[in-house]
Amino acid sequence: MIRTIAAISAALIWTALSVLPASAADKVVLMLNWYVYGEHAPFYYGKAKGIYAAEGIDLEIQEGRGSAATTQAVAAKTANFGYVDVPTMMRAAVKGAPITATGVLLQTSPMSAMGFVEKNIKKPEDIKGKTVAITPADSMTQIWPLFLKKTGLKESDFQTVAGDGQTKLNAVINGQADLLLGYVMDQSMKIKDATGKDVNAIKFADYGINMVCSGIVANTEFVKANADLVKRFMSATTKAVEAAEKDAKGAAQSILDANPKGGKIETLTQGFELTIPLYRTPETKNKRPFQVTDQNMTDTVNLMVEYGGLDAKAKDNPKAFYTNDYLPQGGS
Amino acid sequence: MAELKRESGVSKALNAAWVRPFLFLLFIVVVWDLTIRLFQIPAYQIPAPGDVVAVLWTDWPELLRQAWPTTYATICGFLLSAVFGIPVAMLIAGSKTVESYVYPLLVFSQSVPKIAIAPLFVVWFGFGIIPKVISAFLLGFFPVVVSAVQGFKSVDPDMVDLARAMQGSRFRVFCAVNLPHAMPAIFSGLKVSITLAVVGAVVGEFVGSNSGIGYVLQRSIGTFDLPTMFAALVILALLGVVLFWVVDRIERLVIPWHVSQRDDIIFAS
Repeated sequence: MIRTIAAISAALIWTALSVLPASAADKVVLMLNWYVYGEHAPFYYGKAKGIYAAEGIDLEIQEGRGSAATTQAVAAKTANFGYVDVPTMMRAAVKGAPITATGVLLQTSPMSAMGFVEKNIKKPEDIKGKTVAITPADSMTQIWPLFLKKTGLKESDFQTVAGDGQTKLNAVINGQADLLLGYVMDQSMKIKDATGKDVNAIKFADYGINMVCSGIVANTEFVKANADLVKRFMSATTKAVEAAEKDAKGAAQSILDANPKGGKIETLTQGFELTIPLYRTPETKNKRPFQVTDQNMTDTVNLMVEYGGLDAKAKDNPKAFYTNDYLPQGGS
Repeated sequence: MAELKRESGVSKALNAAWVRPFLFLLFIVVVWDLTIRLFQIPAYQIPAPGDVVAVLWTDWPELLRQAWPTTYATICGFLLSAVFGIPVAMLIAGSKTVESYVYPLLVFSQSVPKIAIAPLFVVWFGFGIIPKVISAFLLGFFPVVVSAVQGFKSVDPDMVDLARAMQGSRFRVFCAVNLPHAMPAIFSGLKVSITLAVVGAVVGEFVGSNSGIGYVLQRSIGTFDLPTMFAALVILALLGVVLFWVVDRIERLVIPWHVSQRDDIIFAS
């Protein structure tokens, strides 16, 4: 009896296996920097529109738990690619982690101090006397001292409360804090979802903080061993970003199709629309996404060494942190 | 005639209570270091024990300073667990009605992951020591109640009847019979609870705090400073050990008569 069952199961499995296509698409795992929000729309859009499949890639998108955690996962080869804050990745790379950025997407920083519009905090001077919610040692808190320096503020001008990501949001929503440090398209939209009220963001980039932000990162050994796959992935991602730029609502909808609890369509769309201007600097205005300039990267490294606590030896070779070699050339 | 066996100096030293775990710890550290060297594990994945010791050596004033808020929150939370847990256990053990209503809900609530609701404590009680204390209390409450219920229920009913037959009032019988009989179980629950209270205090700090070892942990994770992170973990572990030992000493004072407190005396003839 048992032998009969075993024989039949073996036959079924063998038949199933022989029906599978001989060469399947490459399975690729992309780990995001955080739980999904508007900024991630292009990846979901590219997957939904078959842009990745057209390059022979079967993409799986995983939500992350912070750029630091995702960077470690990619360095340990637990994920093939990561979408993280590149300065955070630099911190790990300078300590010997085998990781590099294969494409820098946000060439202007989305970091900002944000609070309800009704609180009327529009300029840095308005921050005096207020309470700011931060997460210790995350990417924004590390650059916050530079923002204070550039705007003439001192730590004693305001109160600080510390907590994790959820606590920061709760603090502003419930009035325990007036502002929080976050990305202009992330927490602002979550707060709007929860309360229906608009949020105003004071962007660090408006006060002379010129640094890159999110980009695609990969393990350096993985890149060397799979150069063709990396090229195809970056080509598909570039096309996905370009397609999403033209169809913001559709891109936001693709997030909800993959992840029905990922947010609300209006705020996801608004969040993505806030991200698009960050893709380029005046120097790269007419270029395709990801084509970051060497000057921008060098400026970022210098800023990170001076204020971000990055090891000074990073200045010796900024090019070690990124490569544009795997990006598609021209209009392909 | 019975004589005490004379122990040699070395075996006397080996038998001292703290030496053996210390030697074992040393062994683990050596294995850890060898593993890193053998498998060439990079520093950003696991720090070398030497680096962790270096951080402990150079940063110990700062780490000690940060350990105080965590210790304070742990002890407050633990005391709350004890103060609320033991009376609740008395009620549950004393009344079948109370037990049938309360006990299943208590077990149900234990399965709710505290880290998920910790942010709500900050919303309700603000930033400060209270969310940390509540977090420590919630984690330490259940072991105290379960062990105390077990202790109160295991009192020999014949003893109680005997005491009551000798005209003992309910209260005096409770103090003389029920409570001492339940003490060993209560203390075992308290020992588990204090180590969990440390975890609770750190969870509270992760979620909303400007100080404490949880804050140091969070900060070092964000900057990929693994030696400091491991140093903070060592401090937390030491905190748990010290507090456990304190509860153990108090147990020795309160129930010196219990069989678990008897020392071995070696006789040789």
